[in-house]
Amino acid sequence: MRRIESQLNVGSEEFRTRERHNRLLATDLKERQRRARHDRPERDVDRLRRQNKKLVRERIEALLDPGTPFLELSTLAANQAYDGEVPGAGIVSGIGIVSGREVIIHADDASVKGGAWYPLSVKKIVRTLDIAIENRLPVVHLCDSAGGFLPAQADLFADRHLAGRIFRNQAILSKLGVPQVAIVLGHCTAGGAYVPALSEYSVIVKGTGAIFLGGPPLVKAATGEDVSVDELGGARMHTSISGTADYAADNEDHAIAIAREIVGQLKKQEKWPLDWARPEAPYYDPSEIYGVIPTDIKQQFDMREVIARTVDGSRFHEYQPAYGTTLVCGFARLWGYKVGILANNGVIFNDSALKGAHFMQLCDQTRVPMLFLQNITGYMVGREYEQRGITKDGAKMIMAVSGAEVPKITVICNGSFGAGNYGMSGRAFDPRFLFMWPQSQISVMGGEQAANVLADIKVRQLARAGQRLSQAQIASIREPIQEEYKRLSSAYYSTSQIWDDGILDPVDTRNALGVAISATLNAPIGQPHYGVFRM
Amino acid sequence: MQHSFTIADRQFTAWLSRAGDGYCLHVDNRPVPVSLQCGGDGACVLHVDGCRHDAVVAVDGDVVHIHLDGATFAVRYTDPTHRYADSASAASDDVALAPMPGVVVAANVRCGEHVEAGQTLLIIESMKLETAIKAWRKGRIATLHVGKGDTFERSAPLVTLAPVAAGER
Repeated sequence: MRRIESQLNVGSEEFRTRERHNRLLATDLKERQRRARHDRPERDVDRLRRQNKKLVRERIEALLDPGTPFLELSTLAANQAYDGEVPGAGIVSGIGIVSGREVIIHADDASVKGGAWYPLSVKKIVRTLDIAIENRLPVVHLCDSAGGFLPAQADLFADRHLAGRIFRNQAILSKLGVPQVAIVLGHCTAGGAYVPALSEYSVIVKGTGAIFLGGPPLVKAATGEDVSVDELGGARMHTSISGTADYAADNEDHAIAIAREIVGQLKKQEKWPLDWARPEAPYYDPSEIYGVIPTDIKQQFDMREVIARTVDGSRFHEYQPAYGTTLVCGFARLWGYKVGILANNGVIFNDSALKGAHFMQLCDQTRVPMLFLQNITGYMVGREYEQRGITKDGAKMIMAVSGAEVPKITVICNGSFGAGNYGMSGRAFDPRFLFMWPQSQISVMGGEQAANVLADIKVRQLARAGQRLSQAQIASIREPIQEEYKRLSSAYYSTSQIWDDGILDPVDTRNALGVAISATLNAPIGQPHYGVFRM
Repeated sequence: MQHSFTIADRQFTAWLSRAGDGYCLHVDNRPVPVSLQCGGDGACVLHVDGCRHDAVVAVDGDVVHIHLDGATFAVRYTDPTHRYADSASAASDDVALAPMPGVVVAANVRCGEHVEAGQTLLIIESMKLETAIKAWRKGRIATLHVGKGDTFERSAPLVTLAPVAAGER
């Protein structure tokens, strides 16, 4: 396969300016991740130590095979919610290797509010189990949660994708034959009690682990019965009397050792036999991506320069290189896996939309997973383009992206605005994974334009009320609207709301995609079939 | 969670992972490239970090005897489920509970008597089936909850052994 000829001038002032800018963004991302992972109030850590409990990341490290990669998802969930007091939404989620098997881990973080489930914690667990269902990944649950955060119960309990969905997803996984192993390392109360009960295998730690629908205080209030934690839902009771849990463990390490033994005897998954070749490092240094992404999101850049620094050997077979040039399509390998890439190189015109819809069907027909690299301001507008049917051509892309059976993975590299987000496999189109880069923005239209529209409406309202505004007054209306719009369209807000599966340092993208593609191959791929394309 | 081994009463932990076409040994959080080619007679060629060693290896259950560089080592593998279990765990329970409802047909021991692990303490009958209740560890009988001819329900305590003092574990 041909190597991309990079046009990047790594000696230029422009390259160095961009590199400085993007390295700072990456450093900032790493620092935010470090804080979300490790900064905890001392009293919470002391409390866990007194209880002989490990911290959640120590548990995960003990569970994983040493020296194997762990792809953590949504590390910065809830970073802009709950006054920033619930880092990671109190949940750690990620894909790793346990006893040689690819699994997805859901772990409650008891160092955050006792592991209480906030609305975004529930969303993160549900998303973790959605990933397990879509990719047929066995699940290991590390249970240590105080239960739902009561003051927010209205936002976490009743709706379709709220708390009940966790248990529904567990039941569906079981029905699909995808096993789950729960390790009960703390209390599993109320709804949380169903997590081990709905797992095929459950290990419970003597002394600290407990499972019950209602804890001792609730039982006392409800029926007057005085009962200890151990009698009500301890390891001995559940493993010898109720049969709610399967294995009693003497301590956390023992429990993790038993769980590793259980995972080690699970049936090895037959993976989808995707075309694979020996991996080759990119010919161009991936860290040069820092010098590719402009400092201003409005500036265009050639996405081929990103592809060249992400795929094996920087080799790319470009499809229709001269047609619909604002959408770059083609085949490449990533960690040896064959992928079809769709990458934005400008506004989508009629020809680019047709090319995209066509190429997606080609990938689906040849059973090649699709990788979407988004930097999209939208579809071209105007009379000429409407007459040529830009709306129905965009609809073709949506028909293709929605109907495709092959796995889709999306990386939002810079802008993701309006309908472009749809046609390029945004969150609503069920890509198996969706990641963002730190500078990227996502919103229904570009920040500046939207803020201008909102500000103009306000100014006109005031004008109708008879007020005449000076330029300074108009600016003072516009600025806060712009600031708020910018915040709500930032990658950090998106990841806080779990609209994505995490923010990646651009340089780590290749490795993250390798783990992600490998995970997708656990699920079978259906026969291609589609709805009706409006011609 | 790494594998653990005992060599000459010292505990070691290590992990072997794949690395490209070969293997990597992780010791003290440091990955070291290793390879091992074994002939049928136990003679092996071991490469650690590029250095060649000739070794003879004999496997005997969980113990591997290795002759390497003029010295002999016995390496015992400890399964992590054993390594992390409390050593006194199996013996920490002090009470034998009735596995099913029934009647005592014989009581072979008295209160205060010292018993060895495996010694028959009681014989019970239930559903036309005789079952011996045996000492699950060495110890002293603290309480005999039932005597010959007594009936009992499922999960009723039958015998209590005196608790093991911390120093005895």
